[in-house]
Amino acid sequence: MARPEERLRCTKEPFIEDVGTRRIKSIRFSMFSGNEVRQSAEAQVWNSRIYDQDMRPVPNGLLDTRMGAANKLGECTTCHGSFAECPGHFGYLKLVLPVFNVGFFNCILDVLKCICKSCSRVLLMEKDRREFLKKMRNPKADPLQKSAIMKKVRDKCKLSRCPWCDFINGVVKKGKAGLIILHDCSKTLDGSTEAIRSALSHKKEKISISAVRMLDAATVLSLFRRMIDEDCELLNLGDRPEKLIVTEIAVPPVPIRPSVFVAGGRMSNEDSITVILKSIANTNSILKETLQTGGQFTKCYDCWQLLQLQVVEYINSDSPSLSDSQHRGLVQRLKGKTGRFRGNLSGKRTEYTGRTVISPDPNLRITEVAIPILMARVLTYPERVSYYNIEKLRQCIRNGPHKHPGANFIIQPDGTKLHLKYCDRRIAARDLKYGCVVERHLEDGDIVLFNRQPSLHRMSIMSHRARIMPWRTLRFNESVCNPYNADFDGDEMNLHVPQTEEARTEALMLMGVQNNLCTPKNGEILVASTQDFLTSSFLVTRKDNFYDRSSFTLLCSYLGDAMENIDLPTPALIKPIELWTGKQLFSVLVRPNASTKVFLNFTVKEKIYTSREAMCPSDGFVYFRNSELLSGQVGKTTLGNGNKDGMFSVLVRDYNSHAAASCMNRLAKFSARFIGNHGFSIGVDDVQPGEHLNQQKKKKIDEGYKECHDLIASYSKGALTLQPGCNAAQTLELKITGVLNQIRATAGNVCMDTLHWRNSPLIMSQCGSKGSPINISQMVACVGQQSVGGRRAPNGFIDRTLPHFPINSKTPAAKGFVANSFYTGLTATEFFFHTMGGREGLVDTAVKTAETGYMSRRLMKGLEDLSVFYDQTVRNASGGIVQFLYGDDGMDPAKMEGKDGKPLNLDQLFMKVMATCPQRGHDTLSPGEILQILNVKLSEHDASSDDSCSEKFKQLLTKFLEERIKLLKNTRRSLHLDEDHVGKKDSSIEECIAANISGISAKQLQVFLDTCLSRYHSKKIEAGASIGAIGAQSIGEPGTQMTLKTFHFAGVASMNVTLGVPRIKEIINASKKISTPIITAELLSGKDVLSARIVKGSMEKAVLGEVAESIKIVLKSSQPNLVVKLDMQRIEALHMGISADSVQLSILNHPKIKLKSEHVRVIDKAKLRIYPAGIDKCKLQYELHNLKSMLPKVIVKGIPTVERAVINKIGDGYNLLVEGTNLLAVMGTPGVDAMKTKSNHIMEVNRTLGIEAARRSIIDEIQYTMKSHGMNIDLRHMMLLADLMTYKGEILGITRYGIAKMKSSVLMLASFEKTAEHLFNASYSGREDQIEGVSECIIMGIPMQLGTGILKVRQRLEHLPEFKYQPDPILS
Amino acid sequence: MVEHLFEDIFIVTRLDPDGKKFDRVSRIEARSEQFDMYMQLDVATEVYPMQAGEKFTMVLAPTLNLDGTPDTGYYTQAGRKTLADKFDYVMHGKLYKISEDSSSGQAAKVEIYASFGGLLMMLKGDPSSAASLELDQRLFLLMRKV
Repeated sequence: MARPEERLRCTKEPFIEDVGTRRIKSIRFSMFSGNEVRQSAEAQVWNSRIYDQDMRPVPNGLLDTRMGAANKLGECTTCHGSFAECPGHFGYLKLVLPVFNVGFFNCILDVLKCICKSCSRVLLMEKDRREFLKKMRNPKADPLQKSAIMKKVRDKCKLSRCPWCDFINGVVKKGKAGLIILHDCSKTLDGSTEAIRSALSHKKEKISISAVRMLDAATVLSLFRRMIDEDCELLNLGDRPEKLIVTEIAVPPVPIRPSVFVAGGRMSNEDSITVILKSIANTNSILKETLQTGGQFTKCYDCWQLLQLQVVEYINSDSPSLSDSQHRGLVQRLKGKTGRFRGNLSGKRTEYTGRTVISPDPNLRITEVAIPILMARVLTYPERVSYYNIEKLRQCIRNGPHKHPGANFIIQPDGTKLHLKYCDRRIAARDLKYGCVVERHLEDGDIVLFNRQPSLHRMSIMSHRARIMPWRTLRFNESVCNPYNADFDGDEMNLHVPQTEEARTEALMLMGVQNNLCTPKNGEILVASTQDFLTSSFLVTRKDNFYDRSSFTLLCSYLGDAMENIDLPTPALIKPIELWTGKQLFSVLVRPNASTKVFLNFTVKEKIYTSREAMCPSDGFVYFRNSELLSGQVGKTTLGNGNKDGMFSVLVRDYNSHAAASCMNRLAKFSARFIGNHGFSIGVDDVQPGEHLNQQKKKKIDEGYKECHDLIASYSKGALTLQPGCNAAQTLELKITGVLNQIRATAGNVCMDTLHWRNSPLIMSQCGSKGSPINISQMVACVGQQSVGGRRAPNGFIDRTLPHFPINSKTPAAKGFVANSFYTGLTATEFFFHTMGGREGLVDTAVKTAETGYMSRRLMKGLEDLSVFYDQTVRNASGGIVQFLYGDDGMDPAKMEGKDGKPLNLDQLFMKVMATCPQRGHDTLSPGEILQILNVKLSEHDASSDDSCSEKFKQLLTKFLEERIKLLKNTRRSLHLDEDHVGKKDSSIEECIAANISGISAKQLQVFLDTCLSRYHSKKIEAGASIGAIGAQSIGEPGTQMTLKTFHFAGVASMNVTLGVPRIKEIINASKKISTPIITAELLSGKDVLSARIVKGSMEKAVLGEVAESIKIVLKSSQPNLVVKLDMQRIEALHMGISADSVQLSILNHPKIKLKSEHVRVIDKAKLRIYPAGIDKCKLQYELHNLKSMLPKVIVKGIPTVERAVINKIGDGYNLLVEGTNLLAVMGTPGVDAMKTKSNHIMEVNRTLGIEAARRSIIDEIQYTMKSHGMNIDLRHMMLLADLMTYKGEILGITRYGIAKMKSSVLMLASFEKTAEHLFNASYSGREDQIEGVSECIIMGIPMQLGTGILKVRQRLEHLPEFKYQPDPILS
Repeated sequence: MVEHLFEDIFIVTRLDPDGKKFDRVSRIEARSEQFDMYMQLDVATEVYPMQAGEKFTMVLAPTLNLDGTPDTGYYTQAGRKTLADKFDYVMHGKLYKISEDSSSGQAAKVEIYASFGGLLMMLKGDPSSAASLELDQRLFLLMRKV
């Protein structure tokens, strides 16, 4: 910054050792003392004026030029840098009297509570003090433990008399208003107050005396100054306590609080901080003057208080001690989404970016993105000139900044930058040398990053190859819409250009579209064909589609850009005329010519599949064999996303991503061109119902309505048979809903059956490109029941939904059943009900986005630093182990092929091996031989490779082959051959056929096993994989897709469990109280309904009022009493097992009724007599009535926390669903199988069964919730989350409290939530932040220790000390 | 003269047993006279109409060359004399599956599946009829009404 001539000139340059680049290793938080503030400052500020008359900064004012330039025109007088160059210098402002720092106010209070207000020693006995000091000095104690010890110390410091100086100490507390600390000695047992009071009592005038003294900042400062260092250590202070109090204010550099001239330079707009500091300086000078002139005490005091409040505002303008503030204090600058931490440190603004509207282009490859020329001229890439590119770059320079393949700058090797707009480009091009760097325009093939917000998972930003095109939009292949979740209704997307070769390589390898075809969420394919591509594939592969030579070759030419050779297959029909089928075209698409060595083998059942595999009458069984489409009309299951055994998934797994990508490219090109010529549209005639449908619909609706009316009639008569766990109204609702849904379903079915196969909506729904059968039947037949909050339309008026209906009407039409279709049009009331349902959806999505966004953020903050290390363990940034082996098997979820996270899809793999490796006359193996080969292979493998495969995988493999052997035996049995001994192939016709059907040759088995094992090993997770972040995204992203189905019946109707986002939130937050706790209790005798009823009876709580026949007051001359008579019939009927004795016990144990055993007398089995406890006659009547009102509420049986229990039928057995908590009691209930009893309340499981059970329960609950929304997430992600939540030994929620206990980094916590609080606490205790986590590294701008950053090159510089193999000699 | 893989005379018993699903293709159900075979076959009825009760000869051959030279897999249009000259309807496809029919109790039956560019054939009968057939074999199906 300093200009050379301004610097001190020496005759010799001082020697400065060049230590190379330095890296910040750690940050220690502490406080500045007044002295340090002064030392680091360049100027003292005391003048409260800012500018003089000429609008020049006043010296010693707040904008003193020594603190840096205030705006672009100014110059710093300290270093003579301009506004752009000089970062500014600090100043200081000396306060006349010290004030408290709001951030540390609670700390100051805590310290004051612990020390004597006279001698500043800790108020602890010497023994306690030593003990605590020892604990505090324990090197193993982490900051969290230390602050816990500090809290203990604070609670222990309750001595009223100082053990060191005998001073009487009272209670220290916060004053009511403002920042005041009070020292209240009134409660301490000391005669002095009374003595003074009595001494003053005979005085005439009232002198109010109080034992409450105020501790002002100056007093506190002097107290703190006297504290000894050992006591500071005891209180977890990282530094001297006097630094907690402000004596000097550091005035921040001017450039961070720029001053803006307005009104033609006559006025200026100042930053909040300048304004606050100005008023502080002003108050300070007034206070100084008052003190010097000896003003009134109250005036001084008020002035001091004002100063205090202004300093508070300077630090935290949101502080509760301020009434309201117009300004932004320092804390406000740091915190919040747009604050320094989240807005500027964790996320930064970048150059070389672009953003515009997106549009589709099926002619681009999936890895490409079309960039408008306009954008390509601005975005540049610095390319170094070499022998190979000098001519190209010369041409770019000649073209200059305005013509496309041009360049904007040349950077010479000496660092000077030449703008090509302002120079002679011909000369520049001529003078271009090797080693120069040319910032050339983007060209075809450059690597760019492409992104769409919200970036919910890692596929939201991928690297594409640039393709420079005319016009104004960014374009890409529609197949890539899915990962970005983009559509073309006006969406905009962002583009970033990596600027170094390393960045490009890394982007291409890690973020390339080709390498991200599958989602790590569950290994399903994500980049796949959509919409029109599916429709046209569906149309073209229809069974009765035939093409003659000219049209077939035309279609073949659609596949590419005339760059590929295509081998024309033999036509399927040779005579009477040669015709090719659409399926043959698809075979050509997968394998255009013989030199393409892609042999695709898989089978898939499409939506339209009915039965009999390939012979399916509606042609729904897609069968690819050696890249030939043998049967099936392809649709979404084959080509679309969200599938593991579709065509592209199989291509990716069996071949490579390139094979899949080129297939997708061909399909995209073909589809766009085919459907362009074929035409596909929708019109009114597509939704016109036929006469037959109308009649059917009318009939169904009439039937349904009649059924509903019957139900309602029987309900009003009270003749409805109740369903378990429901009352009459609920039963009615359930039944009516069932009937109405049935109407819609049957109408829909009739509608689907009557539609012609050319019906566009039908085609779209069948192939899966858009819409569902429900959508079609809503358009054509019947819209159906509208629901709000999972129920029929609620009553908006008194006892009715709308005034169009009679009161208490429960008919279908009055409760929101829409009998019309969208084609016929809705009536007014139907329309209104429909909008009610529609609004709920809109509100729900609006609410959910915010909620899931926050959830994702928390998950990310919690899991960001977890990664796999080279020893396969999962650790956090500080090296703490979270899992010993990732996901228990160390496999990468993105590469899993099978269902439920199994590594391989053995069926498909076996099929491929059988098809690609024919038997060719070799003999097949017998069952015994197959098993033998398998075992030999496995043991061989275990012995040879250093990391063998998991037991689970071996089991999987063995089980699969056993299955095959079973098939083989079946075949041989039905062909009347010996099951175990396989003869020669040519020995008989049967042998030959058996070999053809299910025989396995030695070669085939060998190939199969080899492929399995080698593929298994390629699926291991790589070291460095930031598996935490992936896990967080995999759980967070599906949350945004969860529909509003927030409730769900847990087996039994009427027993709801919370689902969806609220439930996920409960689990992740580790909520103590969940909305629907349910315990699933298995029964010891699960087949017996009676025993289930008994167990249920013993669990459900019963109060005395329910089982008593009567509770009467008997007033007799002897002694008045209460007689309770039990209803034994009822008790017997419900198997409650209650007797008078047990009731007596329950009454005695009731906490509110204080009776002794002699007061409650059992008369016989069903009768009790209760005498009031009091002897007082006048209260007798009152007590009797009191007892009478209390007794019915006495719980005589069951678990108090259980709301109810419902018997649930599963298969032929029963279990109990218990609504409520207290797992321990439920498990202890006789008849319950405690081993199999589960609860969905995680905290309770932890309390009852321990942390491992809680971990399991977290995994199961998340999985259950996700499953019930039809979402499939790899178990490994949930395991990781559960492990993170439990690895500290207690359940930590992913909330601000839980995360604070998981992470040690201050910067990370500050960038999460409660920024200021974490920073103040860190500097109080002098915490140190090792920059190792992800957030910290981003904040400091250092590469993080994850992913590619896990690699470290280490070189041993000195020799290792030689190891001695003998003990040291005793005498040498 | 090359030997055919299979030859028999069938009678169409039913058209579209599962209902008509496609305009230009019908699935025929047929029974053979000689070997008592059962067949389901998709026929492009638009170019070769068929009715229930019709009788036809069906031949499965590995090649259309009269001298029996194996099929190359490449299709040539040269107007040579071929086996197809004697038939009205010829399809080309692939045998993709052989399986046993477990349902029919004692007498073991074999099912042979072939696909002619998506037009499927299922032939069920005695194992001996499948003796000369092999998996993944290219097949020509030739038909002539009698």
